[in-house]
Amino acid sequence: MKGLLRGSGAPLLLGLLLPAFLLGLWQIAAEQRWIDTLFYPAPWDVAQRTWEQARSGDLLADAWVTNRRLLIGFAIGAIPGGLIGLAAGISRPLRRLLYPLATALYVVPRIAMLPLVLVAFGITDGARIFMVGFSVFFVVFFAALSAAEQVSPMHLETARAFGAGRLRLITTVLVPASAPAVFSGLRIAMGFALIVIVGTEFLASNDGLGARIWQSYQIFDFPSMYAGIVAVTMVGVALNLVLLAIERMALPWVRET
Amino acid sequence: MPTPSPAVVQRAHGLEIVEAGVTYSGGVVALAGVSLSLAQGSFHAILGPSGCGKSTLLKTIARIVPLSSGSIARPGDGSFAYVPQGNSCFPWLRAEENVAYGMRLRGVSRGERTRRASQLLADLGLEAFARTYPAQLSEGMRQRVTIARAFALEAPLLLMDEPLSALDFQTKIAVQNELLRLWSRSGCTVVYVTHDIDEALALADNVSVLSARPGHVLETVSIPFVRPRSYAALREQPEYGPLFRKLYTLLGEQ
Repeated sequence: MKGLLRGSGAPLLLGLLLPAFLLGLWQIAAEQRWIDTLFYPAPWDVAQRTWEQARSGDLLADAWVTNRRLLIGFAIGAIPGGLIGLAAGISRPLRRLLYPLATALYVVPRIAMLPLVLVAFGITDGARIFMVGFSVFFVVFFAALSAAEQVSPMHLETARAFGAGRLRLITTVLVPASAPAVFSGLRIAMGFALIVIVGTEFLASNDGLGARIWQSYQIFDFPSMYAGIVAVTMVGVALNLVLLAIERMALPWVRET
Repeated sequence: MPTPSPAVVQRAHGLEIVEAGVTYSGGVVALAGVSLSLAQGSFHAILGPSGCGKSTLLKTIARIVPLSSGSIARPGDGSFAYVPQGNSCFPWLRAEENVAYGMRLRGVSRGERTRRASQLLADLGLEAFARTYPAQLSEGMRQRVTIARAFALEAPLLLMDEPLSALDFQTKIAVQNELLRLWSRSGCTVVYVTHDIDEALALADNVSVLSARPGHVLETVSIPFVRPRSYAALREQPEYGPLFRKLYTLLGEQ
Protein backbone atom coordinates (compact mmCIF):
# COMPACT_ATOMS: atom_id res chain seq x y z
CA MET A 1 0.00 0.00 0.00
CA LYS A 2 2.78 2.32 0.96
CA GLY A 3 4.55 1.54 -2.30
CA LEU A 4 1.35 2.13 -4.23
CA LEU A 5 0.94 5.55 -2.65
CA ARG A 6 4.50 6.46 -3.22
CA GLY A 7 4.61 4.92 -6.67
CA SER A 8 1.49 6.36 -8.26
CA GLY A 9 -0.82 7.99 -5.74
CA ALA A 10 1.30 10.96 -4.75
CA PRO A 11 2.23 12.05 -8.30
CA LEU A 12 -1.46 11.73 -9.24
CA LEU A 13 -2.43 14.05 -6.39
CA LEU A 14 0.32 16.42 -7.40
CA GLY A 15 -0.92 16.33 -10.98
CA LEU A 16 -4.44 17.27 -9.87
CA LEU A 17 -3.18 20.31 -7.99
CA LEU A 18 -2.79 22.58 -11.01
CA PRO A 19 -6.18 21.79 -12.62
CA ALA A 20 -7.89 22.25 -9.24
CA PHE A 21 -6.19 25.60 -8.78
CA LEU A 22 -7.16 26.79 -12.28
CA LEU A 23 -10.79 25.67 -11.79
CA GLY A 24 -10.87 27.50 -8.45
CA LEU A 25 -9.47 30.63 -10.05
CA TRP A 26 -12.06 30.42 -12.83
CA GLN A 27 -14.87 29.98 -10.29
CA ILE A 28 -13.76 33.03 -8.32
CA ALA A 29 -13.26 35.08 -11.49
CA ALA A 30 -16.82 34.26 -12.54
CA GLU A 31 -18.33 34.99 -9.13
CA GLN A 32 -16.47 38.29 -8.86
CA ARG A 33 -17.55 39.17 -12.42
CA TRP A 34 -13.94 39.60 -13.53
CA ILE A 35 -15.02 37.72 -16.65
CA ASP A 36 -18.26 37.84 -18.64
CA THR A 37 -20.28 34.89 -17.35
CA LEU A 38 -22.44 34.85 -20.49
CA PHE A 39 -19.44 33.52 -22.42
CA TYR A 40 -17.43 32.05 -19.57
CA PRO A 41 -19.89 30.65 -17.03
CA ALA A 42 -18.52 29.45 -13.69
CA PRO A 43 -17.26 25.85 -13.62
CA TRP A 44 -19.83 25.01 -10.98
CA ASP A 45 -22.65 26.16 -13.31
CA VAL A 46 -21.13 24.10 -16.12
CA ALA A 47 -20.98 21.07 -13.84
CA GLN A 48 -24.62 21.56 -12.85
CA ARG A 49 -25.73 21.94 -16.46
CA THR A 50 -23.72 18.87 -17.45
CA TRP A 51 -25.30 16.87 -14.66
CA GLU A 52 -28.85 18.07 -15.54
CA GLN A 53 -28.42 17.24 -19.19
CA ALA A 54 -26.86 13.92 -18.39
CA ARG A 55 -29.81 13.05 -16.17
CA SER A 56 -32.39 14.13 -18.73
CA GLY A 57 -30.74 11.69 -21.10
CA ASP A 58 -30.18 13.84 -24.19
CA LEU A 59 -26.52 14.54 -23.46
CA LEU A 60 -25.92 10.82 -23.01
CA ALA A 61 -27.82 10.10 -26.20
CA ASP A 62 -25.56 12.48 -28.12
CA ALA A 63 -22.49 11.07 -26.39
CA TRP A 64 -23.52 7.60 -27.47
CA VAL A 65 -24.09 8.72 -31.07
CA THR A 66 -20.59 10.23 -31.19
CA ASN A 67 -19.09 7.26 -29.39
CA ARG A 68 -20.67 4.81 -31.83
CA ARG A 69 -19.32 6.72 -34.85
CA LEU A 70 -15.89 6.83 -33.23
CA LEU A 71 -15.77 3.13 -32.43
CA ILE A 72 -17.00 1.92 -35.81
CA GLY A 73 -14.79 4.38 -37.68
CA PHE A 74 -11.82 3.50 -35.50
CA ALA A 75 -12.23 -0.21 -36.15
CA ILE A 76 -12.72 0.36 -39.89
CA GLY A 77 -9.55 2.45 -40.02
CA ALA A 78 -7.31 0.77 -37.47
CA ILE A 79 -7.70 -2.90 -38.39
CA PRO A 80 -6.84 -2.57 -42.10
CA GLY A 81 -4.33 0.17 -41.27
CA GLY A 82 -2.49 -2.12 -38.88
CA LEU A 83 -2.60 -5.18 -41.13
CA ILE A 84 -1.66 -3.41 -44.36
CA GLY A 85 1.01 -1.40 -42.50
CA LEU A 86 2.60 -4.58 -41.11
CA ALA A 87 2.43 -6.21 -44.53
CA ALA A 88 4.08 -3.17 -46.12
CA GLY A 89 6.75 -3.19 -43.41
CA ILE A 90 7.52 -6.82 -44.19
CA SER A 91 7.27 -6.77 -47.98
CA ARG A 92 9.50 -4.34 -49.81
CA PRO A 93 7.55 -4.43 -53.10
CA LEU A 94 4.29 -3.70 -51.27
CA ARG A 95 6.01 -0.87 -49.39
CA ARG A 96 7.27 0.65 -52.64
CA LEU A 97 3.78 0.35 -54.12
CA LEU A 98 1.91 1.97 -51.22
CA TYR A 99 4.34 4.40 -49.68
CA PRO A 100 4.09 7.37 -52.11
CA LEU A 101 0.28 7.38 -52.21
CA ALA A 102 -0.03 6.87 -48.45
CA THR A 103 2.43 9.67 -47.75
CA ALA A 104 0.54 12.05 -50.03
CA LEU A 105 -2.84 11.22 -48.48
CA TYR A 106 -1.39 11.38 -44.97
CA VAL A 107 -0.44 15.01 -45.49
CA VAL A 108 -3.96 16.10 -46.54
CA PRO A 109 -5.68 17.68 -43.51
CA ARG A 110 -8.48 15.23 -42.73
CA ILE A 111 -11.23 17.79 -42.43
CA ALA A 112 -10.39 19.13 -45.90
CA MET A 113 -11.77 15.87 -47.26
CA LEU A 114 -15.20 16.43 -45.72
CA PRO A 115 -16.93 18.08 -48.72
CA LEU A 116 -15.69 15.32 -51.00
CA VAL A 117 -16.84 12.64 -48.57
CA LEU A 118 -20.25 14.32 -48.29
CA VAL A 119 -20.55 14.30 -52.08
CA ALA A 120 -19.72 10.61 -52.14
CA PHE A 121 -21.78 9.46 -49.16
CA GLY A 122 -24.40 12.19 -48.71
CA ILE A 123 -24.93 13.70 -45.28
CA THR A 124 -25.13 10.30 -43.64
CA ASP A 125 -23.61 8.34 -40.79
CA GLY A 126 -21.60 6.54 -43.43
CA ALA A 127 -19.86 9.82 -44.29
CA ARG A 128 -19.09 10.61 -40.64
CA ILE A 129 -17.79 7.12 -39.94
CA PHE A 130 -15.71 7.20 -43.11
CA MET A 131 -14.12 10.48 -41.99
CA VAL A 132 -13.01 8.83 -38.75
CA GLY A 133 -11.84 5.65 -40.47
CA PHE A 134 -9.93 7.59 -43.11
CA SER A 135 -8.02 9.65 -40.55
CA VAL A 136 -7.29 6.65 -38.31
CA PHE A 137 -6.14 4.43 -41.16
CA PHE A 138 -3.06 6.40 -42.12
CA VAL A 139 -1.81 6.98 -38.60
CA VAL A 140 -2.00 3.29 -37.77
CA PHE A 141 -0.68 2.31 -41.21
CA PHE A 142 2.51 4.33 -40.74
CA ALA A 143 2.96 3.24 -37.13
CA ALA A 144 2.70 -0.42 -38.14
CA LEU A 145 4.90 0.03 -41.20
CA SER A 146 7.80 1.61 -39.34
CA ALA A 147 7.40 -0.82 -36.44
CA ALA A 148 7.68 -3.82 -38.74
CA GLU A 149 10.64 -2.26 -40.54
CA GLN A 150 12.47 -1.72 -37.26
CA VAL A 151 12.17 -5.24 -35.90
CA SER A 152 15.63 -6.30 -34.73
CA PRO A 153 17.43 -8.32 -37.45
CA MET A 154 18.99 -10.34 -34.63
CA HIS A 155 15.58 -11.52 -33.44
CA LEU A 156 14.62 -12.42 -37.00
CA GLU A 157 17.89 -14.30 -37.54
CA THR A 158 17.50 -16.12 -34.24
CA ALA A 159 14.01 -17.25 -35.19
CA ARG A 160 15.18 -18.32 -38.64
CA ALA A 161 18.09 -20.28 -37.16
CA PHE A 162 15.57 -22.07 -34.94
CA GLY A 163 13.72 -23.08 -38.09
CA ALA A 164 10.99 -20.45 -38.35
CA GLY A 165 9.47 -20.20 -41.82
CA ARG A 166 7.88 -17.03 -43.16
CA LEU A 167 4.58 -17.52 -41.34
CA ARG A 168 6.23 -18.30 -38.00
CA LEU A 169 8.57 -15.34 -38.41
CA ILE A 170 5.51 -13.13 -38.75
CA THR A 171 3.49 -14.63 -35.90
CA THR A 172 6.27 -15.23 -33.38
CA VAL A 173 8.57 -12.26 -34.04
CA LEU A 174 7.25 -9.51 -36.32
CA VAL A 175 3.81 -9.14 -34.75
CA PRO A 176 4.86 -9.17 -31.07
CA ALA A 177 7.92 -7.01 -31.78
CA SER A 178 5.80 -4.43 -33.64
CA ALA A 179 2.89 -4.45 -31.22
CA PRO A 180 4.09 -1.75 -28.77
CA ALA A 181 4.66 0.79 -31.55
CA VAL A 182 1.34 -0.12 -33.16
CA PHE A 183 -0.41 0.55 -29.86
CA SER A 184 1.25 3.97 -29.59
CA GLY A 185 -0.07 4.59 -33.10
CA LEU A 186 -3.55 3.57 -31.98
CA ARG A 187 -3.48 6.08 -29.14
CA ILE A 188 -2.37 8.87 -31.46
CA ALA A 189 -5.02 7.80 -33.96
CA MET A 190 -7.67 8.04 -31.23
CA GLY A 191 -6.72 11.69 -30.76
CA PHE A 192 -7.09 12.31 -34.50
CA ALA A 193 -10.42 10.48 -34.52
CA LEU A 194 -11.83 12.75 -31.79
CA ILE A 195 -10.80 15.91 -33.63
CA VAL A 196 -12.25 14.67 -36.89
CA ILE A 197 -15.58 13.47 -35.48
CA VAL A 198 -16.21 16.71 -33.61
CA GLY A 199 -15.28 18.77 -36.68
CA THR A 200 -17.47 16.61 -38.88
CA GLU A 201 -20.40 16.89 -36.49
CA PHE A 202 -19.98 20.66 -36.34
CA LEU A 203 -20.48 20.90 -40.08
CA ALA A 204 -22.47 17.90 -41.15
CA SER A 205 -24.63 16.48 -38.38
CA ASN A 206 -27.77 17.20 -36.37
CA ASP A 207 -26.85 14.86 -33.54
CA GLY A 208 -23.74 13.86 -31.65
CA LEU A 209 -21.69 15.94 -29.24
CA GLY A 210 -20.07 18.02 -31.99
CA ALA A 211 -23.49 19.10 -33.27
CA ARG A 212 -24.60 19.79 -29.71
CA ILE A 213 -21.59 22.04 -29.02
CA TRP A 214 -22.05 23.89 -32.30
CA GLN A 215 -25.81 24.39 -31.91
CA SER A 216 -25.43 25.57 -28.30
CA TYR A 217 -22.87 28.09 -29.47
CA GLN A 218 -25.19 29.37 -32.18
CA ILE A 219 -28.05 30.01 -29.71
CA PHE A 220 -25.68 31.48 -27.10
CA ASP A 221 -26.44 28.63 -24.67
CA PHE A 222 -22.91 28.63 -23.36
CA PRO A 223 -23.38 26.36 -20.33
CA SER A 224 -24.73 23.68 -22.71
CA MET A 225 -21.79 24.25 -25.03
CA TYR A 226 -19.42 23.67 -22.13
CA ALA A 227 -21.42 20.60 -21.10
CA GLY A 228 -20.82 19.26 -24.60
CA ILE A 229 -17.10 19.96 -24.34
CA VAL A 230 -16.96 18.20 -20.97
CA ALA A 231 -18.81 15.22 -22.43
CA VAL A 232 -16.51 14.99 -25.47
CA THR A 233 -13.51 15.13 -23.17
CA MET A 234 -14.93 12.34 -21.07
CA VAL A 235 -15.59 10.20 -24.14
CA GLY A 236 -11.98 10.77 -25.20
CA VAL A 237 -10.58 9.95 -21.78
CA ALA A 238 -12.75 6.82 -21.52
CA LEU A 239 -11.69 5.54 -24.94
CA ASN A 240 -8.04 6.16 -24.13
CA LEU A 241 -8.40 4.24 -20.88
CA VAL A 242 -10.01 1.35 -22.74
CA LEU A 243 -7.14 1.33 -25.24
CA LEU A 244 -4.62 1.42 -22.42
CA ALA A 245 -6.35 -1.48 -20.65
CA ILE A 246 -6.34 -3.54 -23.84
CA GLU A 247 -2.66 -2.73 -24.37
CA ARG A 248 -1.76 -3.81 -20.86
CA MET A 249 -3.59 -7.08 -21.29
CA ALA A 250 -2.19 -7.76 -24.74
CA LEU A 251 1.41 -6.69 -24.01
CA PRO A 252 2.19 -7.70 -20.43
CA TRP A 253 5.94 -7.51 -21.03
CA VAL A 254 5.76 -3.78 -21.76
CA ARG A 255 4.03 -2.92 -18.50
CA GLU A 256 6.50 -4.84 -16.41
CA THR A 257 9.57 -3.12 -17.80
CA MET B 1 15.81 -29.76 -46.21
CA PRO B 2 19.18 -30.21 -47.90
CA THR B 3 19.97 -33.25 -49.95
CA PRO B 4 22.11 -35.54 -47.78
CA SER B 5 25.74 -35.53 -48.83
CA PRO B 6 28.07 -38.47 -48.16
CA ALA B 7 29.68 -36.58 -45.30
CA VAL B 8 26.40 -36.60 -43.35
CA VAL B 9 26.43 -40.36 -43.40
CA GLN B 10 29.90 -40.55 -41.85
CA ARG B 11 28.86 -40.11 -38.26
CA ALA B 12 32.35 -39.66 -36.87
CA HIS B 13 32.42 -35.98 -37.76
CA GLY B 14 30.93 -33.25 -35.62
CA LEU B 15 31.03 -30.83 -38.52
CA GLU B 16 32.76 -30.92 -41.88
CA ILE B 17 33.37 -27.66 -43.74
CA VAL B 18 35.11 -27.85 -47.11
CA GLU B 19 36.36 -24.73 -48.88
CA ALA B 20 33.44 -22.64 -47.72
CA GLY B 21 33.22 -19.25 -49.41
CA VAL B 22 30.77 -16.40 -48.93
CA THR B 23 30.57 -13.45 -51.31
CA TYR B 24 27.96 -10.84 -50.47
CA SER B 25 25.95 -9.20 -53.22
CA GLY B 26 28.06 -6.18 -54.07
CA GLY B 27 31.14 -8.33 -54.36
CA VAL B 28 32.50 -8.21 -50.81
CA VAL B 29 34.23 -11.51 -50.14
CA ALA B 30 33.58 -12.35 -46.48
CA LEU B 31 34.93 -15.90 -46.44
CA ALA B 32 37.33 -17.52 -48.85
CA GLY B 33 38.01 -21.24 -48.66
CA VAL B 34 37.33 -22.03 -45.01
CA SER B 35 37.93 -25.70 -44.25
CA LEU B 36 37.33 -27.23 -40.85
CA SER B 37 36.87 -30.75 -39.60
CA LEU B 38 35.46 -31.13 -36.11
CA ALA B 39 35.37 -34.33 -34.10
CA GLN B 40 31.94 -35.27 -32.81
CA GLY B 41 31.33 -33.92 -29.32
CA SER B 42 34.30 -31.56 -29.43
CA PHE B 43 34.35 -27.94 -28.32
CA HIS B 44 35.82 -25.86 -31.12
CA ALA B 45 36.66 -22.17 -30.74
CA ILE B 46 36.92 -19.81 -33.71
CA LEU B 47 39.27 -16.98 -32.89
CA GLY B 48 39.75 -13.97 -35.09
CA PRO B 49 40.02 -10.21 -35.28
CA SER B 50 36.82 -8.22 -35.54
CA GLY B 51 35.43 -8.06 -39.06
CA CYS B 52 37.23 -11.22 -40.14
CA GLY B 53 34.03 -13.09 -40.88
CA LYS B 54 33.76 -15.20 -37.70
CA SER B 55 30.08 -14.34 -37.36
CA THR B 56 29.52 -14.86 -41.06
CA LEU B 57 31.05 -18.33 -40.80
CA LEU B 58 28.70 -19.17 -37.93
CA LYS B 59 25.69 -17.74 -39.75
CA THR B 60 26.59 -19.79 -42.77
CA ILE B 61 26.63 -22.95 -40.67
CA ALA B 62 23.30 -21.78 -39.18
CA ARG B 63 21.84 -21.37 -42.70
CA ILE B 64 21.21 -17.66 -42.12
CA VAL B 65 23.80 -16.62 -44.72
CA PRO B 66 23.87 -18.73 -47.90
CA LEU B 67 27.09 -20.39 -48.97
CA SER B 68 28.57 -19.10 -52.25
CA SER B 69 30.97 -22.00 -52.73
CA GLY B 70 32.17 -25.12 -50.96
CA SER B 71 30.12 -27.35 -48.69
CA ILE B 72 29.08 -27.82 -45.08
CA ALA B 73 28.10 -31.21 -43.66
CA ARG B 74 26.31 -30.95 -40.34
CA PRO B 75 26.36 -33.90 -37.93
CA GLY B 76 23.49 -36.26 -37.16
CA ASP B 77 20.12 -35.21 -38.52
CA GLY B 78 21.58 -31.87 -39.61
CA SER B 79 19.80 -29.92 -36.89
CA PHE B 80 21.60 -27.31 -34.83
CA ALA B 81 21.00 -24.68 -32.19
CA TYR B 82 22.23 -21.11 -32.43
CA VAL B 83 23.14 -18.45 -29.87
CA PRO B 84 23.64 -15.14 -31.68
CA GLN B 85 25.83 -12.29 -30.54
CA GLY B 86 24.13 -9.82 -28.19
CA ASN B 87 20.94 -9.98 -26.21
CA SER B 88 18.81 -12.27 -28.32
CA CYS B 89 16.11 -13.09 -25.76
CA PHE B 90 12.69 -12.30 -27.14
CA PRO B 91 11.44 -9.50 -24.85
CA TRP B 92 7.79 -10.54 -25.30
CA LEU B 93 8.37 -14.07 -23.97
CA ARG B 94 8.91 -15.06 -20.35
CA ALA B 95 12.19 -16.84 -19.54
CA GLU B 96 10.60 -20.30 -19.78
CA GLU B 97 8.84 -19.37 -23.04
CA ASN B 98 12.14 -18.16 -24.47
CA VAL B 99 13.74 -21.47 -23.55
CA ALA B 100 10.83 -23.34 -25.13
CA TYR B 101 10.83 -21.24 -28.33
CA GLY B 102 12.96 -23.52 -30.49
CA MET B 103 11.21 -26.62 -29.18
CA ARG B 104 7.84 -25.08 -30.06
CA LEU B 105 8.96 -24.47 -33.63
CA ARG B 106 10.20 -28.05 -33.91
CA GLY B 107 6.89 -29.44 -32.67
CA VAL B 108 8.10 -30.78 -29.31
CA SER B 109 5.05 -31.65 -27.18
CA ARG B 110 3.96 -29.17 -24.52
CA GLY B 111 4.72 -31.54 -21.64
CA GLU B 112 8.21 -32.23 -22.92
CA ARG B 113 8.82 -28.52 -23.52
CA THR B 114 7.90 -27.69 -19.94
CA ARG B 115 10.01 -30.54 -18.59
CA ARG B 116 13.14 -29.61 -20.51
CA ALA B 117 12.73 -25.87 -19.93
CA SER B 118 12.34 -26.17 -16.17
CA GLN B 119 15.24 -28.64 -15.99
CA LEU B 120 17.54 -26.29 -17.90
CA LEU B 121 16.44 -23.22 -15.95
CA ALA B 122 17.17 -25.13 -12.75
CA ASP B 123 20.58 -26.21 -14.10
CA LEU B 124 21.39 -22.55 -14.71
CA GLY B 125 20.06 -21.36 -11.36
CA LEU B 126 17.08 -19.58 -12.89
CA GLU B 127 14.20 -21.67 -11.54
CA ALA B 128 12.86 -18.67 -9.62
CA PHE B 129 12.80 -16.56 -12.80
CA ALA B 130 10.90 -18.90 -15.12
CA ARG B 131 7.93 -16.52 -15.36
CA THR B 132 10.03 -13.36 -15.59
CA TYR B 133 10.34 -11.24 -18.72
CA PRO B 134 13.89 -10.63 -20.07
CA ALA B 135 13.77 -6.89 -19.33
CA GLN B 136 13.79 -7.68 -15.61
CA LEU B 137 16.67 -10.15 -15.85
CA SER B 138 20.32 -9.22 -15.53
CA GLU B 139 22.59 -9.49 -18.57
CA GLY B 140 24.09 -12.72 -17.21
CA MET B 141 20.65 -14.23 -16.64
CA ARG B 142 19.57 -13.32 -20.15
CA GLN B 143 22.60 -15.02 -21.64
CA ARG B 144 21.83 -18.09 -19.53
CA VAL B 145 18.33 -18.08 -21.02
CA THR B 146 19.69 -18.00 -24.59
CA ILE B 147 22.06 -20.84 -23.71
CA ALA B 148 19.19 -22.82 -22.22
CA ARG B 149 17.10 -22.10 -25.33
CA ALA B 150 19.88 -23.61 -27.46
CA PHE B 151 20.49 -26.71 -25.33
CA ALA B 152 16.74 -27.36 -25.10
CA LEU B 153 16.74 -28.49 -28.73
CA GLU B 154 19.12 -31.34 -27.89
CA ALA B 155 20.65 -30.80 -31.31
CA PRO B 156 23.94 -32.51 -32.22
CA LEU B 157 25.50 -29.15 -33.13
CA LEU B 158 25.58 -25.96 -31.08
CA LEU B 159 26.68 -22.65 -32.65
CA MET B 160 27.58 -19.78 -30.32
CA ASP B 161 28.63 -16.29 -31.36
CA GLU B 162 30.52 -14.51 -28.56
CA PRO B 163 27.69 -15.37 -26.17
CA LEU B 164 29.47 -14.09 -23.08
CA SER B 165 31.39 -11.09 -24.40
CA ALA B 166 29.08 -8.57 -22.72
CA LEU B 167 29.46 -10.10 -19.26
CA ASP B 168 31.78 -9.02 -16.48
CA PHE B 169 34.65 -11.38 -15.66
CA GLN B 170 33.08 -13.08 -12.62
CA THR B 171 29.74 -13.70 -14.33
CA LYS B 172 31.51 -14.87 -17.46
CA ILE B 173 33.42 -17.55 -15.56
CA ALA B 174 30.27 -18.71 -13.79
CA VAL B 175 28.31 -19.01 -17.04
CA GLN B 176 31.28 -20.68 -18.79
CA ASN B 177 31.32 -23.38 -16.14
CA GLU B 178 27.58 -23.94 -16.47
CA LEU B 179 27.95 -24.04 -20.23
CA LEU B 180 30.72 -26.66 -20.04
CA ARG B 181 28.65 -28.77 -17.67
CA LEU B 182 25.67 -28.73 -20.04
CA TRP B 183 27.93 -29.45 -23.01
CA SER B 184 29.66 -32.45 -21.43
CA ARG B 185 26.28 -33.87 -20.46
CA SER B 186 24.76 -33.36 -23.91
CA GLY B 187 27.66 -34.67 -25.99
CA CYS B 188 26.98 -32.15 -28.75
CA THR B 189 29.61 -30.51 -30.92
CA VAL B 190 30.12 -26.81 -30.14
CA VAL B 191 31.41 -24.10 -32.46
CA TYR B 192 32.23 -21.12 -30.27
CA VAL B 193 33.18 -17.79 -31.82
CA THR B 194 35.27 -15.48 -29.65
CA HIS B 195 37.89 -12.76 -29.91
CA ASP B 196 39.28 -13.58 -26.47
CA ILE B 197 42.37 -15.86 -26.41
CA ASP B 198 41.98 -16.73 -22.73
CA GLU B 199 38.34 -17.66 -23.20
CA ALA B 200 39.30 -19.95 -26.09
CA LEU B 201 42.03 -21.57 -23.97
CA ALA B 202 39.65 -22.05 -21.04
CA LEU B 203 36.85 -23.62 -23.07
CA ALA B 204 37.99 -25.31 -26.23
CA ASP B 205 39.48 -28.62 -27.34
CA ASN B 206 40.68 -26.95 -30.53
CA VAL B 207 41.08 -23.36 -31.59
CA SER B 208 41.02 -22.23 -35.22
CA VAL B 209 42.39 -18.79 -35.93
CA LEU B 210 40.70 -16.98 -38.79
CA SER B 211 42.55 -14.47 -40.97
CA ALA B 212 41.39 -10.94 -41.72
CA ARG B 213 38.87 -10.60 -44.53
CA PRO B 214 38.45 -12.53 -46.70
CA GLY B 215 38.49 -15.00 -43.82
CA HIS B 216 40.17 -18.36 -44.03
CA VAL B 217 41.65 -20.66 -41.39
CA LEU B 218 45.26 -19.69 -40.62
CA GLU B 219 45.86 -22.55 -38.26
CA THR B 220 44.02 -24.93 -35.97
CA VAL B 221 45.67 -25.46 -32.61
CA SER B 222 44.69 -28.21 -30.20
CA ILE B 223 44.49 -27.29 -26.53
CA PRO B 224 46.06 -29.93 -24.29
CA PHE B 225 44.75 -28.81 -20.87
CA VAL B 226 42.74 -31.32 -18.85
CA ARG B 227 39.25 -30.43 -17.66
CA PRO B 228 37.96 -28.95 -15.47
CA ARG B 229 40.11 -25.91 -16.18
CA SER B 230 40.37 -22.67 -14.30
CA TYR B 231 41.76 -19.35 -15.45
CA ALA B 232 44.17 -19.25 -12.51
CA ALA B 233 45.43 -22.83 -12.87
CA LEU B 234 45.82 -22.49 -16.66
CA ARG B 235 48.44 -19.82 -16.22
CA GLU B 236 50.57 -22.19 -14.17
CA GLN B 237 50.67 -24.78 -16.96
CA PRO B 238 53.98 -24.84 -18.83
CA GLU B 239 52.13 -24.96 -22.18
CA TYR B 240 50.06 -21.87 -21.40
CA GLY B 241 52.68 -19.25 -22.25
CA PRO B 242 53.75 -20.69 -25.62
CA LEU B 243 50.12 -21.38 -26.60
CA PHE B 244 49.00 -17.89 -25.70
CA ARG B 245 51.93 -16.41 -27.61
CA LYS B 246 51.21 -18.59 -30.64
CA LEU B 247 47.55 -17.55 -30.81
CA TYR B 248 48.49 -13.95 -30.11
CA THR B 249 51.02 -13.99 -32.95
CA LEU B 250 48.53 -15.58 -35.33
CA LEU B 251 45.98 -12.89 -34.48
CA GLY B 252 48.66 -10.25 -34.83
CA GLU B 253 49.51 -11.32 -38.36
CA GLN B 254 46.34 -9.72 -39.62
